[in-house]
Amino acid sequence: MLDHICVTWRRQARRTIGASAISLLLTLTGCGGGGGGGDSAAMPLPAPTPSTGSAPITPDPAPAPAPDPDPDPNPMQPPVAGPPSNPSDPAPTTPAPAPGPAPSPAPAPNADRAAFATAQSTARFLTQATFGPTLAEINTLRGTEASGWFLRQLEVRPNYLLPVVDELMSLDDDDEGAPLAGEATTFGFWRSAIAGADQLRQRMAFALSELLVVSNGGGELLTDVPEAVAYYQDRLIEHALGNYRELLEDVTYAPAMGYYLTYMGSEKGDPATGRMPDENYARELMQLFTIGVVELNADGTVRLDTAGQPIETYDNSDVTGLARVFTGLDVDPEYFFADEAEGLPLGYAFPMAVYPERHSTREKAFLGTVIPQNTPAAQSITLALDHIFAHPNVAPFVARQLIQRLVSSNPTPAYTARVAAAFEAGRYRLPSGAQVGDGRRGDLAATAAAILFDTEARTLAGLEGGKIREPILRFTHWARAFQVRQVTPEYRDSLWDTSSPLDLGQHAYRAPSVFNFFRPGHIAQGSLTGERGLNAPELQIVNASSVPGYANFMLDFIFFDGEDIDVEELQAFFDEDGYPLDADRARDSFDADYSAEAALAAAPAELVDRLDLLLTYGTLTSGTRAQIVELLEQLPVDEPWQRVDVARFAIFMMMTSPDYLVQR
Amino acid sequence: MLKRRRFLQAGSASLIAEMSGLLPTVISASAHGANTSGYRAMVCVFLFGGMDNHDTVIPFDTENYGSWERIRASLLSVQGGSRARDSLRQLAPAEDGFGGRQFALPPELNGLHGLFQSGQAAIVGNVGPLLQPTDASSFNAQTVRLPSRLFSHNDQQATWMSGAPEGARFGWAGLFADIMQRAGANVENTFAAITTGGADLLITGQQTTPYQVVGDTAVEPCILEDLSNPVLAMMTRHLRAQGFSGSSLLARDMATRSRQAIDANRRYNQSASAVGAGPGEFPASGLGQQLQAVATAISARDSLGVNRQIFTVGLGGFDTHSNQAKELPMLQQELDAAIVAFQASMQGMGLNEQVVLFTTSDFGRTLAINGDGTDHGWGGHHFVVGGGVRGQRIFGGLPPSTLGHSRDAGSGRLVPDVSVEQFAAPLGRWFGLDNAEIQATFPNLGAFDGELALFA
Repeated sequence: MLDHICVTWRRQARRTIGASAISLLLTLTGCGGGGGGGDSAAMPLPAPTPSTGSAPITPDPAPAPAPDPDPDPNPMQPPVAGPPSNPSDPAPTTPAPAPGPAPSPAPAPNADRAAFATAQSTARFLTQATFGPTLAEINTLRGTEASGWFLRQLEVRPNYLLPVVDELMSLDDDDEGAPLAGEATTFGFWRSAIAGADQLRQRMAFALSELLVVSNGGGELLTDVPEAVAYYQDRLIEHALGNYRELLEDVTYAPAMGYYLTYMGSEKGDPATGRMPDENYARELMQLFTIGVVELNADGTVRLDTAGQPIETYDNSDVTGLARVFTGLDVDPEYFFADEAEGLPLGYAFPMAVYPERHSTREKAFLGTVIPQNTPAAQSITLALDHIFAHPNVAPFVARQLIQRLVSSNPTPAYTARVAAAFEAGRYRLPSGAQVGDGRRGDLAATAAAILFDTEARTLAGLEGGKIREPILRFTHWARAFQVRQVTPEYRDSLWDTSSPLDLGQHAYRAPSVFNFFRPGHIAQGSLTGERGLNAPELQIVNASSVPGYANFMLDFIFFDGEDIDVEELQAFFDEDGYPLDADRARDSFDADYSAEAALAAAPAELVDRLDLLLTYGTLTSGTRAQIVELLEQLPVDEPWQRVDVARFAIFMMMTSPDYLVQR
Repeated sequence: MLKRRRFLQAGSASLIAEMSGLLPTVISASAHGANTSGYRAMVCVFLFGGMDNHDTVIPFDTENYGSWERIRASLLSVQGGSRARDSLRQLAPAEDGFGGRQFALPPELNGLHGLFQSGQAAIVGNVGPLLQPTDASSFNAQTVRLPSRLFSHNDQQATWMSGAPEGARFGWAGLFADIMQRAGANVENTFAAITTGGADLLITGQQTTPYQVVGDTAVEPCILEDLSNPVLAMMTRHLRAQGFSGSSLLARDMATRSRQAIDANRRYNQSASAVGAGPGEFPASGLGQQLQAVATAISARDSLGVNRQIFTVGLGGFDTHSNQAKELPMLQQELDAAIVAFQASMQGMGLNEQVVLFTTSDFGRTLAINGDGTDHGWGGHHFVVGGGVRGQRIFGGLPPSTLGHSRDAGSGRLVPDVSVEQFAAPLGRWFGLDNAEIQATFPNLGAFDGELALFA
């Protein structure tokens, strides 16, 4: 296994450390992942700007990346010390009245200038709002109004996944079928996350995909029919800056959710046989997607009854009652019956249809409401979603989890309350004075703005703040920061599935269950955060396998050199296995441009300064900095390739440092 | 965690009950009565999603089989002959505790049937989380305290492992490991609790952190290969985050995790590579490979410095809301083949009586069907396998395969006959805990009538 994993590294290490250069064939089969790829000639999207390559750019001359004072540098603002908030820990909470009408949320003073004031603060904002800052963006945006960037992002045309399915389906190799189409959601995600202009939308959609989870990791229909998850995630992308209630409607009718939570085809009960409607979606809709299991205050803390106990939001009779609502839905017959081969997948790219005769005619009682008997399916679903959505839990429940995905694992109750208020009001006033949101409850653009422009988000996190960067976001950050020449994941087989802890331990749209990769309330035993009862969701996937697994995965990409690919042999492999791929293109695929970094190889301190801006927005601690510089000073810099390797060592060390792994 | 109790008032519409909790915050450090002699290992096979108890132990006497067959007709029509009465593997227990009622396993569990008949495996019927003895009438009248968030996956997984819903921090097997650590059973604790992914909570204790392996070999950073000093030493220092001086708690946690991972993996590989004979043949399935990794770790027990070990492995896919007739038999086959291979491996190493394997799951499932599958239930039936087990016996209860009986919480969801404590306590005693340690680990054990006599 290690021989396999380390093959790229060996090649590189021997060259760098001075042993005789050994050229190893880098075949796609040799890396332990999936298989081939897909013709990217037809791909409209992945056109990362031809890399800057040229002149090395010095790391932000303006407010120089402050050589940090030990132990914790703080180039922006003093940390806010606030009490930890933790809805799963009822201890610090007190009974509180239900939230009233949301006050008009006020923007943080000077947040615009604070957000993009310096290169570092710009990089930090983009770390929270996108899949990773690039130097070009930092330089363009520094000194401008962050409000303007936010408003422009709302207007960027969304990148969707279904067109990627169509594109890869069209690469049908005669009788071989379309061997790349099954990977469409994966390729589409990497392209949009890394090269898409709609960064804010994609980042929000990705966050939502970890809240409203479906997964194509099961090896069943959702794996075999890429249209299903593509259509589903497209709804998340479409509504990512839209409205949560409308999103819930689309989610409910989406075949992927219907299949994943098994209410597709669910029929009304049959007293004769004891058959009951499927309860899966009814339960998770309440538990995971909208209100959670206990009543919350408007600030996300747990609401307690007069005896000091949490108040559960529903019981099993609510689930049973609500389950009747989600009967009678199935793939639209128009597509289902058209043509078994063509029509079935097509049906998964459209909302499910109602089969009235299968829908429960009984009364549907749940959460204190009753939908009268004989109410038709569509009307029942609207009534049910309206009723659940009106629950006061929805705003703090959704707000806190979105904050956790973008900014902080432990937002203060006040921060959660401000974001929840924007969700309630459906409106948020940006620092520039511009309004975001259409004023309807559940507006996600207003919610996103409230998350990103809040004082707590714009202030460098203190002792208890911040979040562990998700492994997927670390990788996209690398690809964006170093301007990989081609975002063509089909040519890098390890990107076909990064779920294993030996890779990233995470893969877009491929959580192990509806409970996502990690739980929002996870408290890590045997940890400093755990001792304080703080949430550390991402720590749930950090273990003895994933720590070296991540390092090895990044090593493989950081040290990749397209020149090492044996194009002829690779082409023979593609041809033999029927992949419509051009091996020449493998050389540029995810081949990063380190020319600017290599130019600083002889000045390690400057090189690290540059990376500190790009990767850690000026927060690298002195200990880590000293360690990296010390090592880099040992490396030879005589030859051009040696200077590139110095850059690679530096990036590898940065991206495996605790300073980088936690976003503050 | 304070022990709090809250009785529900009759007529309340809520199922809320404050868990009394399986777990005390502090187990007296002076209670070092544990037996640490010899080697003992426990292996939990967690069946994620909720294994259908009604298709695990199947009624075989004609009356109950007939009822089961009628209620499950539409599943059986898809399943073909494998659930026909003459396809089933009838169980012949050493003792008849069920008034002449007969039971069988499905043909996919043929290997477990063999282990049962040869006295290497027992069945625990209708076990699940309870706070006090409960039946259908007290459940429906809501006159008893009930575990929180019944029928919910993550919460019932957590409750099985820890006695409390999601958010719990310690599992009962992790507390076993804590006790053994304090009693000096292991040279050090890093490899006392090993997971191949999932069910970590069960083996997490106050001093016990699960160690994760993927396959037989622990992964090490490739970059350390072929580097030479001084760069090698510097890179090692860096990857161990030795120089990190930041104050962020999350960053310090990441630094600690990194250091622990690098160090543990190196030691694990040194120990595992020192072992001669391999663990034997295992299926290529996911569960087979996980149990092979467990067997490898067991074979390296001496060089890992442990003589009390706890493992968790996991198999997902049991949430058979739909397509159950096709999917469940495949899972049963994978489960069966892997356990048979593991048991053979333990016999090959001469550890048959020193290792016990048991299954757990989120919950059982409904007897009623929802079309082509079943929904979340409560009590489930499980296997305990090992040479030390009083095999060929069925412990606990096996309610009739009908609807509306005294243990039917609705649609054939079973109100457990046996609580998790009654199931887990004998495992702890077998592992070496003394009576005081058992009582301290399971403070609510006294609410129930005795423990299962799983071991001689």
